[in-house]
Amino acid sequence: MKAYKKEVQFTVWMTVAFILVGNVGLIFSIFPVDAMLFGFPVMYIVPILMGWFGVFFLTIVAGKIGNRIDDEIDSENDALGVSDEVKDV
Amino acid sequence: MMEAQNWQLSNPILGLAVVGATFLLFYIVGFISNRKSASAKDLYIGGGNVGAFTNGLAMASTYMSLATFLGITALILQLQVPFIMLWIQLILAIPLITIIYGTSLRRMGAFSPTHFIRDRYGVTASIIAALFMILVSIMYALGQMIGIAITFETLLGIPYLTGLFVFGIIIVGYITIGGMAGATNNAAIQMVIIALMFIIPLGAIMKAVGADGWYFPPLFYSDMVPAMLESLPTFFDYQFSPKWYFSIIPALTIGALGLPHLAMRVYTASNLKSARSAMVWFAFILGLVFSATYAMGFVGVYATATQGLTISEGDADKLTIILNLVYNPEWVTALVIAGAISAGLSTLSGNLLAIGALISQDIIATLKPNIPQRLSLRIGFIAIFAGGLVSILLAIQPPAFLVVSILWAFGLAGVTNAPLIIVGVWWKEANKFGAIVASVVGGAIYIIVSPFVFPSIVLTGHGVTDGMGLSGAMLAVPISFILLIVVSYITNRMPGLQSKLTKQSDIELIERIHGWKDIKSYRYNSTVGAGITVVVSAAVAIWALMPWGM
Repeated sequence: MKAYKKEVQFTVWMTVAFILVGNVGLIFSIFPVDAMLFGFPVMYIVPILMGWFGVFFLTIVAGKIGNRIDDEIDSENDALGVSDEVKDV
Repeated sequence: MMEAQNWQLSNPILGLAVVGATFLLFYIVGFISNRKSASAKDLYIGGGNVGAFTNGLAMASTYMSLATFLGITALILQLQVPFIMLWIQLILAIPLITIIYGTSLRRMGAFSPTHFIRDRYGVTASIIAALFMILVSIMYALGQMIGIAITFETLLGIPYLTGLFVFGIIIVGYITIGGMAGATNNAAIQMVIIALMFIIPLGAIMKAVGADGWYFPPLFYSDMVPAMLESLPTFFDYQFSPKWYFSIIPALTIGALGLPHLAMRVYTASNLKSARSAMVWFAFILGLVFSATYAMGFVGVYATATQGLTISEGDADKLTIILNLVYNPEWVTALVIAGAISAGLSTLSGNLLAIGALISQDIIATLKPNIPQRLSLRIGFIAIFAGGLVSILLAIQPPAFLVVSILWAFGLAGVTNAPLIIVGVWWKEANKFGAIVASVVGGAIYIIVSPFVFPSIVLTGHGVTDGMGLSGAMLAVPISFILLIVVSYITNRMPGLQSKLTKQSDIELIERIHGWKDIKSYRYNSTVGAGITVVVSAAVAIWALMPWGM
């Protein structure tokens, strides 16, 4: 049960995180900010930076967690007795 | 000072030589890589044995179409910052495909998303999905064909139609010969060419217009911001309501999840860990080139607003090439054109291979499972070539802005395929009746509210918003999710239909593709999750029907 829950939660929250980080423009369209950063308007440069480095960072995290969940599914499979295989169908 | 003019290389031989050399390279790489293409698996997914770095670069170049060089900058010229905001989230495609269903389908050993749909929902649903996917792939390939012909028109001044037929057929021939192994190695090389040929000349253009940050064009152009604000104070305005920005998610973020040629890239990975590393490389390189594209658009608007550069509406697609012609030596422009052709080529190979896989594997092999391997492979080659030919013929009368038709195709993929794949992977109850109704009804609604079929039936009346499918997808994508879930839930409980459903094999398939060796009834079976999806989808669909105020 544990690895299954982790898999579902990871996919849901990771999807939400990716969508938010890739759509910072949507957030600024609701909450406009009138400031400058690195010489650009914040509402211009922050979505671009998040859409590059933010997404890049998330892919690293998603890759690491995804690999670990695969390992946990494998170890739950290994712990499985042959007798349970038919049970609970 | 600079009048609207005929933008061309004055020395076409130079351009031809550079393009010829790149083509020769691609042919050689394709020929060497494809000598071993003995089975359909080799042809479509390169034997399922491609390394992470190569695959990450190939994913990026398959995704980065000719639009990078031609269409995007035109739309930045027209829509300015909102279009940049729209484009940014396209980077989510491969990461979301990978985490939501890519690794599961890789574990299953699918050739294409439709292959999964066939095993999950049966033959009828998969053929409907495949037909929609062929339409999507042809629309997408069409955009590349148009771009390639425009590029050759600009390059040599040869008529659009001649360029379309001569170079179109050369390119289709190359893809047919190369297969996926050739396409993957070539796509990785093409990505390097695209990045260099886009970013270095952009640095030179920035130096010429007096920008201090020319040594890192993707991000260092803020010293041009004050002059831009002075001559064009509205450049950074968001212009549209939050609703417009929200509609990008169903149309393009979910749309990209249904694109077959992107998903197929995940299946070429040698294993799941490698697929996950490929997505990291993809995000890094795509972010780099995307950021450079925004800089190119910015410089284009800057040059027209402050430097007296005039670009007529019909020439907007050529902005990148025009900037190079104006500010850089001719040999640089020739290299940029080679980069643009590479970008078109890698996407086109992805599209045509998807068409080949769809026709030979998902339609013909589905209807006639017993045809021999050799014949199936030959049908695949013929289908790839025929798909190329159709997109050449459709490109005879091109639409005005080439990106619009490509983005509309995203929405169609999002309506007809993405819900079937996403819900099919994560919910055991989804069945063939739900899938067929969702794909057919959702697809029909999306096509009806598009401005292409009934120009008077549209949701916003704002040409580009309807044309790119933003408004249509915001209505049709949630409807498709609702139909799939509700129709499946009801038909699963109708005693008369039980004999037509394949519940046990569906359950086994889902457990297996998530990596489980046993079957547990609590897994992938949440009625609450399905209910929440229906409620959220209904809210989005109702919001889409309310006035857009545009």
